[in-house]
Amino acid sequence: MFKDLDPILHSQLRLAIMSLLIGVQEADFTFIKEKTNATAGNLSVQVQKLKEAGYIDVNKQFKDNYPQTTCKITQQGITAFEAYVKALQEYLQVGKTK
Amino acid sequence: MEDKQLNEQESLQLITEMIQKAKGGFHESGSSAILWGSAVGIAGIVSFIESYWNFYIGFDIWFILFAAIIPQIFISIKENKNKKAISREERNMDAVWMVYALSIIAVTFYTNIMPWASERLASGEGTQYWKRTVATGAVERMRLFVPSASSVYLIIYAIPTLTVGIARRFKPMLIGGFVCYALFFASCFTSFTWDILFNGIGGICNWLIPGLILRKRFLKQKAGNV
Repeated sequence: MFKDLDPILHSQLRLAIMSLLIGVQEADFTFIKEKTNATAGNLSVQVQKLKEAGYIDVNKQFKDNYPQTTCKITQQGITAFEAYVKALQEYLQVGKTK
Repeated sequence: MEDKQLNEQESLQLITEMIQKAKGGFHESGSSAILWGSAVGIAGIVSFIESYWNFYIGFDIWFILFAAIIPQIFISIKENKNKKAISREERNMDAVWMVYALSIIAVTFYTNIMPWASERLASGEGTQYWKRTVATGAVERMRLFVPSASSVYLIIYAIPTLTVGIARRFKPMLIGGFVCYALFFASCFTSFTWDILFNGIGGICNWLIPGLILRKRFLKQKAGNV
């Protein structure tokens, strides 16, 4: 029996954000925007969804009089990401054996 | 990038691509290494020239290392301003350099304080040291430098524990490391008898207590997995 793929992670932009954050301690909103080539509006919506799911922490502050948003993956996010990758591998393994 | 649904293959490709992109975003400017390499290099070579040709430039050249702290502050501020993401590797490297800086301060303190501390301990024991030049027969007070291996060991004990403590944000190791540095500073003013006691306390705070805490967590996790 296959595990269902996590619907929060099984979307292109949200998965891209999580894949970026899994490798770093924390990242600026502009860094994520630059690496994903997403629009600011779309990125904001997806970041908010990940935050609501408890997968990332979002910290808003001012740096040199400019607003700065930093994102950081949570332990819950790491666990969900690992489970998602494991489920993907299972699907792909079965695809190979067929 | 759109917010579209992906198949399994595309998901795996995207994960790999993004992890590679995150990795590629970090570049060392090399400014700090160039700064400190130049300062230590110049100071060492000038010191050698002074000693070999027996002359003095009028000030201690090693003071340029203190002057190098000022541009270092500017470099750090500038680099932090431009930083858009912090990698885990970078955080670990920061821990290594932080502990290195602390240890350099401790060793500098040690080499400067030991002559004074040695004199103080000798006078406490009611002894004085004199040296006599065989050729001229001249006698003068000797400047003592009694090395304290136990003090140096305390710095070495602290290095790995504090580095791991900072990198993993594990408080017992952080505390253990700082206790070792504190005991090192105290040991510069005490006799050998106290220094070996400090080594014992250092070992307990640095390894035994964090080790017991880690063991407790390990056993708890193991019991949970059964």
